[in-house]
Amino acid sequence: MNNNILQVYEDEIQSLENEIKMLTEEYECNQHGSMAYSNGKTTKAMKSIKKKFQEDPKQYYSSPNLKTQLALLESDFSFLMKFTGVWFKNYSRKQLEKSGIKTVYKYRLSGNCQSVPFQLEFQLTEENQSDKNGYAVVTDLNIIIESEESSDLSKFVSRAEESGNLLLFFKSLSCFSEWCEHRKYTLAHFKNKYPDVVALPEGLSGDCLILKNFELSGFELMIVWKIYVDKDGKVVPVLDLLNKIPLPVLENKKFASAMPHWFRSLLHVLGIEASIEAVIKSLCRGK
Amino acid sequence: MEASRTSLRDGVLSHLENLEACSHQLALKQEEEEQQEENVARLKARIQELKHQRDKMKAKLNLIRGKDGTQSATQTPQASNQAALELRVQNLKNLLKMFRLTGISGKLTREGVCLCIGTAFEGTYLDSYYLHLRIQHPIQIQRHTVPAFIHLKQIADEYLQTDVKRFFSVLSDHLNAYAGRKFQAEQLQEHFAALLAGPLQANSLYSLVEFSYRVEAGGKTFPFLARLTYEDPTCILPTEASVAWKEDAVASGAEMVASHKALFCEKPLHKVFRSFTDSTENLSQAVAPEPSTSTAGVPLHCGKAAAW
Repeated sequence: MNNNILQVYEDEIQSLENEIKMLTEEYECNQHGSMAYSNGKTTKAMKSIKKKFQEDPKQYYSSPNLKTQLALLESDFSFLMKFTGVWFKNYSRKQLEKSGIKTVYKYRLSGNCQSVPFQLEFQLTEENQSDKNGYAVVTDLNIIIESEESSDLSKFVSRAEESGNLLLFFKSLSCFSEWCEHRKYTLAHFKNKYPDVVALPEGLSGDCLILKNFELSGFELMIVWKIYVDKDGKVVPVLDLLNKIPLPVLENKKFASAMPHWFRSLLHVLGIEASIEAVIKSLCRGK
Repeated sequence: MEASRTSLRDGVLSHLENLEACSHQLALKQEEEEQQEENVARLKARIQELKHQRDKMKAKLNLIRGKDGTQSATQTPQASNQAALELRVQNLKNLLKMFRLTGISGKLTREGVCLCIGTAFEGTYLDSYYLHLRIQHPIQIQRHTVPAFIHLKQIADEYLQTDVKRFFSVLSDHLNAYAGRKFQAEQLQEHFAALLAGPLQANSLYSLVEFSYRVEAGGKTFPFLARLTYEDPTCILPTEASVAWKEDAVASGAEMVASHKALFCEKPLHKVFRSFTDSTENLSQAVAPEPSTSTAGVPLHCGKAAAW
């Protein structure tokens, strides 16, 4: 009789445990990190928490653990996003395997590095056995970058996928995207400063700058500013000066052919901004 | 009568014995019942606990479903608020953990910020290093775990006040290169000990590495001495490799020296050795390479590594 009762309880426990396991699995599969920032609701919620705190600190401390914890985490998060330039939008993690030795997760991660959006998929194997420090190995890395600049990145991206070096990928991507921002800023600066001379055929996020002098019709200079990432992840800006000079105007062919070389030397000595400025000024003086 | 008398005399004793046995059994039974009750109570408590856990999980799930789907407005405020908070805290924790993958993570502290620089060699995440910065003018490094042989001061003098991001990027280059060189040397010793003659010698920065090794080809053993120099502290492949032939040369020795030199400058150390064992395997079955060499990717031990 008694044993039967015990059995009933044990069965109930068993079924509850199964239910929780299923719920947990579903939860983990569904878990998205998106609430953190991209979702306006959360941001609003955060603001309201902060507001509440200002209005009524007592209430804020009513469940100090969670709410203060949240506020602290939130500020850490926004600091790191600003500092690294990396914004994680979505994230999901699924456990593929767990044993005493290792745990294998499959991650899906998307976000932005400055203006460059990325999507990642990879497996992370975490070692459980090593004394006190576990360490992690990335495998099966897939990277998708959908942006105009992606062609410049393709070699580097495929190398990163091959080696699984996610850390280097992030490092180079942030360096690359910073250069992109810098280029955008510089192009905008010259367009504003010399609106009559400077044209941006591909807009601000393009990589070229056309210089025209209306009094010299047909005379055009083009500065192409590429940002290369080599296979080892080194980011290098490369600038070239091309010209379109009508033949009658062109008295000296040598002059035209030597121009790219001069521009390179100029870059070495003056740096990017000052070199572009020098070219524009010389063109204006040409009037 | 006689018998009954004796039986009575004995009977008192046996009766007592019986009584004692009875009471003992009763006690046992009582104990058992108590045990049972305790079990029941314990199971009941466990059921309560599990039910609570299940309800919490359900609330969390509803929240997710609500977010993706339709019924988020129908949430009851009190219970779901708590669950929502827990969910957000958990999510933020996970997202913060993701920053470790980028090689820079950290948190704000009372006086400034504590930043963690991660290192990796290819797909393997290695040690992390911490710096506590006091954010004021000038920015101060309060304490750190960067090894003494990394030129932290020099890097800080150059970049810390003018460009904090650059400072971290340069420091990370140095730390990653150091961790990468160390990792290669460790991998070499761990997986190819059979090919090494004696321990590998290196300076603390692993910018100077020396070891003796032998390669088997055509049933013969060829001993070499290699000396790798990494002049640039931010590189993971040697800028100079010298390989010396340890015994009187056979004709093929010089050829091998040249090819090894090139390999050391081209590929990570343990991969060069993997190519040695692979080629010996192909040439002859004479040498038994380390069994673990075939399991690329996940090394077994590597001492200290990043905490995950």
